[in-house]
Amino acid sequence: MKRSGCSGFQQLAASRRDFLQVGAIGGLGLTLGNFFQMRQAQADIKDYKSVEGTAKSVISIYLPGGMAHQETFDPKPIAPIEYRGPLKAIKTNVEGVYFGEYLQKTAQIADKLTVIRSMTHGEAAHERGTHNMFTGYRPSPALKYPSMGSIVAHEFGPRKDLPPYVCIPNQPNEFAGTGYLSSSYGPFSLGSDPASKGFTVRDLSLPGGINEDRFARRRSILDTVNSHFRSREEADALDAMDSFYQRAYSMISSKDAREAFDIDKEDKKTREQYGMNQAGQRLLMARRLVESGVRFVNLTYGGWDMHQRIESGMKRWVPDLDRAFAALIQDLSQRGMLDETLVVISSEFGRTPKINPQAGRDHWPKVFSVVMAGGGIKGGMVYGSSDPTAAEPEENAVTVEDWASTVYDRLGIVADKELMAPGDRPIEIIDGGKPIKDIMV
Amino acid sequence: MNKIQQTIFSAWMLGGLLALGTTQSLQAAALVQVEVFPPEVNLETLRDRQSLIVQATYADGVTKDVTEQAKFVPENPALVKLQDSTLYPAQDGKTTIRVQFEGNTVEVPVSVKKAKQDRPISFRLDVMPVFTKSGCNMGSCHGAARGKDGFRLSLFGFDPEGDHFRLTREINGRRINLALPEESLLMEKAIGSVPHTGGKLFGKESELYTEIVRWLSMGAPNDSGEVAELVGLELYPLEAVMQGRGTTQDLTVRATYSDGTNRDVTHLSYFMTNNENSVAVDQAGIMQAGERGEAFVTARFMTMTIGIPIIVLPENAELEFPNLPQNNYIDELVDQKLKKLRIAPSELADDETFLRRVSIDLVGQLPTVEEYRAFIDNPAPNKRRQLIDELIERPEFVDIWVMKWSELLTVRSVRNRVSYKAMLLYNNWLKDQISNNVPVSEMVIELLSAEGSIFDNPPVNFYHVERDRLKIAENVAQVFMGMRLQCAQCHNHPFDRWTMDDYYSFAAFFSQIGRKNGEDPRETIYYNRRSGGQRHPVTNEVMKPRYLGGDLAEFENGEDYRANLAHWLASPENPYFAKNISNIAWAHFFGRGIIDEVDDVRVTNPPSNGPLLETLGEKFAESNYDFKQLVRDICNSRTYQLSTQANATNSTDETNFSKAKIRRIRAEVLLDCLDQVTKSPSKFRGLPLGARAVEIADGSTSTYFLQTFGRASRETVCSCEVKMEPNLSQALHLLNGSTVSSNIVRGKVVSDALKEKQDPKQILETIYLRALCRKPSVDEVAAFNQMLAEKGANHQQILEDIFWAVLNSREFIFNH
Repeated sequence: MKRSGCSGFQQLAASRRDFLQVGAIGGLGLTLGNFFQMRQAQADIKDYKSVEGTAKSVISIYLPGGMAHQETFDPKPIAPIEYRGPLKAIKTNVEGVYFGEYLQKTAQIADKLTVIRSMTHGEAAHERGTHNMFTGYRPSPALKYPSMGSIVAHEFGPRKDLPPYVCIPNQPNEFAGTGYLSSSYGPFSLGSDPASKGFTVRDLSLPGGINEDRFARRRSILDTVNSHFRSREEADALDAMDSFYQRAYSMISSKDAREAFDIDKEDKKTREQYGMNQAGQRLLMARRLVESGVRFVNLTYGGWDMHQRIESGMKRWVPDLDRAFAALIQDLSQRGMLDETLVVISSEFGRTPKINPQAGRDHWPKVFSVVMAGGGIKGGMVYGSSDPTAAEPEENAVTVEDWASTVYDRLGIVADKELMAPGDRPIEIIDGGKPIKDIMV
Repeated sequence: MNKIQQTIFSAWMLGGLLALGTTQSLQAAALVQVEVFPPEVNLETLRDRQSLIVQATYADGVTKDVTEQAKFVPENPALVKLQDSTLYPAQDGKTTIRVQFEGNTVEVPVSVKKAKQDRPISFRLDVMPVFTKSGCNMGSCHGAARGKDGFRLSLFGFDPEGDHFRLTREINGRRINLALPEESLLMEKAIGSVPHTGGKLFGKESELYTEIVRWLSMGAPNDSGEVAELVGLELYPLEAVMQGRGTTQDLTVRATYSDGTNRDVTHLSYFMTNNENSVAVDQAGIMQAGERGEAFVTARFMTMTIGIPIIVLPENAELEFPNLPQNNYIDELVDQKLKKLRIAPSELADDETFLRRVSIDLVGQLPTVEEYRAFIDNPAPNKRRQLIDELIERPEFVDIWVMKWSELLTVRSVRNRVSYKAMLLYNNWLKDQISNNVPVSEMVIELLSAEGSIFDNPPVNFYHVERDRLKIAENVAQVFMGMRLQCAQCHNHPFDRWTMDDYYSFAAFFSQIGRKNGEDPRETIYYNRRSGGQRHPVTNEVMKPRYLGGDLAEFENGEDYRANLAHWLASPENPYFAKNISNIAWAHFFGRGIIDEVDDVRVTNPPSNGPLLETLGEKFAESNYDFKQLVRDICNSRTYQLSTQANATNSTDETNFSKAKIRRIRAEVLLDCLDQVTKSPSKFRGLPLGARAVEIADGSTSTYFLQTFGRASRETVCSCEVKMEPNLSQALHLLNGSTVSSNIVRGKVVSDALKEKQDPKQILETIYLRALCRKPSVDEVAAFNQMLAEKGANHQQILEDIFWAVLNSREFIFNH
């Protein structure tokens, strides 16, 4: 998708930790050089051990471009036509809650969802909005923040020989990466679309002619060669490469791990239920992965930057997503996995209240909607609301920090925990958000 | 060069100095310079004033704000009033202020004009700055596209006319009260006496408050006639090295206007720091030192932002800076900065490491065994220089830079729009330019002024791969000046100096491009329409072409706008061009730009070493944009040849080039190196077997390997398209994928050598020399000999497994 907007827009005054707080750490009279300062800071940072919470895994469905809330989860059927937009609102299985008309199947599982209709932030450029939603921070020129997936990988590590953080089909943008954390917490990308013909994840099996014994010998020789270099050189990229090799070894040697990526192992009926299309197969792949042990799946789908002709845009992208999403929630629920799998639909921002002259809507971060389900989130709930023209939050405005803290809370990660960024700077996972208790089970 | 004597304040000494406020200099570094800012003062009209700052610099590079300790002595006390360190006008005339500190005297010329006259209040000059200073017109407040809580101001004041209308007449009688100015809603909201989402912004006693009230009491006039425009901003001091937590340094900001006047606008400037941990700054313009580190502190006044670099050292930072040879100006300037930071550079890399590094960087190939021996055995003291000269003349050097330029110029085929033929011609033209070492300025001029058929005159493809003229303007700024202008398309750039006026006046250069079809359906012809213009979307005015950050363009009769721009762009008149190209080259060899990312040049993203970038640019321009000379300078510097291994002082330094950076080898080069050492060439679309990945002309051609290792698809000009981070897919591919395993078998390096009855030990050494540019270590030889000596050992398999392991090793995948 083509991106327009201000890639160079960078705010300098990041809303960062209070200077005095850092000052207080070093203010104990210890000025004996970096080493002691670091020790001191490490001892004083807010540290909590992350213990698995109600949500054991996350499926994050990200809709790049900025999904219009008016046409999806926050319709305004009685607003004047220029605000209401071209689509109708339909009833859901929750009394008094309406969705956009293409969300037919999702409307029938609304009782399993929480819709937050009062998300708000101030970044109207794609890159900056995306940064907010992937990291929980406003962009800063001084520091690159890690994505939620990388934080989860950092806090919990791999499970059942699978990478903790997987992107379907590819890492969608630079903010989905590791930020100031080591690149070893980066995502594993499938590399191709599960809906494409002959889809496989490459290089999971040993090459022809190499049996396990010979592979073991190769590994031991490789250790010898690497140890020479390791004794001389140090760099984050080297450590990261090391840890990827370790992860690769475990994946190669585990049949279950390899099969997690084999979508052909699903029966035809299930595949069709999700839909034999991008949305369907990506969501189904996500379920397979969390079922097998992946902790955080990020998947992207569609192009939602509908500056022109929003009606046809919605018609193109929503029905498949609707079908796949409803199938996913039902499938997880039938398998007894919904309670421990947090499913999220989000986007970098919503879209302008008024339909523009090109029959589209432009960027609008002041209010938009995010959907959450499972993993200890209540069902049948609408949290917060936008005003009658879907222009500003009316009730219970939810900031990016609040929302991100909620996700972390469900996962068992205290969002106030500080991680060490370069230059011995302790940085909170999320700076100042409040988990939304009202939507938690 | 003589070793600079580093003398150090111990913690208690500094405490003692501060407490006594005296000038004990025992053990402390000697005072070497006293400077007063601004260097001259112009006071004009009654309300004018100027605050002065006195900065002392010591021999160890540390600076101190000594404004309070300094004595100010006006030569003619009748002309000026002096309050603390601020000057006010008293009487017209010229005089001098003598500023004295520890036996040093600095003379500051002062001129006073219209001392008894008041300047009429101006909406643009006096009122608008208050909204910027208080944050009223920020994007998160009333500066949002639809305003906030029903009231809108233009973002950072890009539309004063509109702001005046909205304040005074949009809702008559609501926002301002001319009869009782202090009861205007505007004023009550600002001081928080009525509920205001933005809270209290300033108090009644504040100057910001009194200025707006003064404007209201005069009837809230709009400006009439010509209003002086802001043309420059100065922030003082120019830099600072602050030692010791809690040390402070005052700032002063001066604005200059198109009518030649200037004003002290410190109180109207919005101050920010990019590293609060090291330097905090408050809205009065006082900086305070915190943790050791570097910070960039900026002041924003109206549409302009300006910044200064600050270094913070702990009280006990001491370093004997080693006495090192300096190969050229690069080393001098890098060391200058490192001295200030109390960081010593790493040792020089050994010959083997240097040979491998410089070969990969210059020609994208590993040295052969013969090249290895020739270099290592060469006794010449200047053999590194010789090697660099040889490598630069090899044809593979051209391929590397054709690839880099193809990324910058998004050379790729696009279905139904850019044919393969057009793309190939474009690429060949680039190859021609670079192999002839055409001065970069000439190449850029030919590119940007090109007209005609995309087939007959390939550089015309610059206008073919991207046809949206706003996007073209943005690309030109990003590629040749390193600037991302996109924000200013819709509003003044919030953290750079660019306004919408700048944007559209720059875009105007591309407003007369004509386009028609050629005979061949794949062919398009671009020509000068000699008519058409670029309108400003807010004022609807047709903008005159203006050089970005420069003057209005003057055209000869019928001159192509683009050609005119090209000549300015690639000349020393344009302060960004030479520096930008130098920085792009620098980043290739260091894995990081002096400004990083290289295409994110903006006031708020300063160079890590300003003088270094300046000088690189100057030398490059002086050499008539001789790219090979630039590369020679960089590679011959000691800085480039440093080891990657850190010492006690530079382990955390990532930005000042005190050690070499370990860099994963970029996708194309890594694949070429793999093919080279295994003697197993790849086949790419459109190229003969044996051609290298760096030679692929088309951005749209790719392979799984290239994609996984982060080759640019050339969809945008952004430097971020090339990805260097390691990931799991790369590990899996090297372990299991065809590139390594099959190459080893296919290339027969091991099996052929065994057939020739070479000794396995010799084969082992060859593998190491080919891939790692070193001999196997004693431990490695021992381990592998044991394997080879085992009864019934399959030598071919073992040696191939060793080869496999070497190609999977970090040492191979990374350049170091």
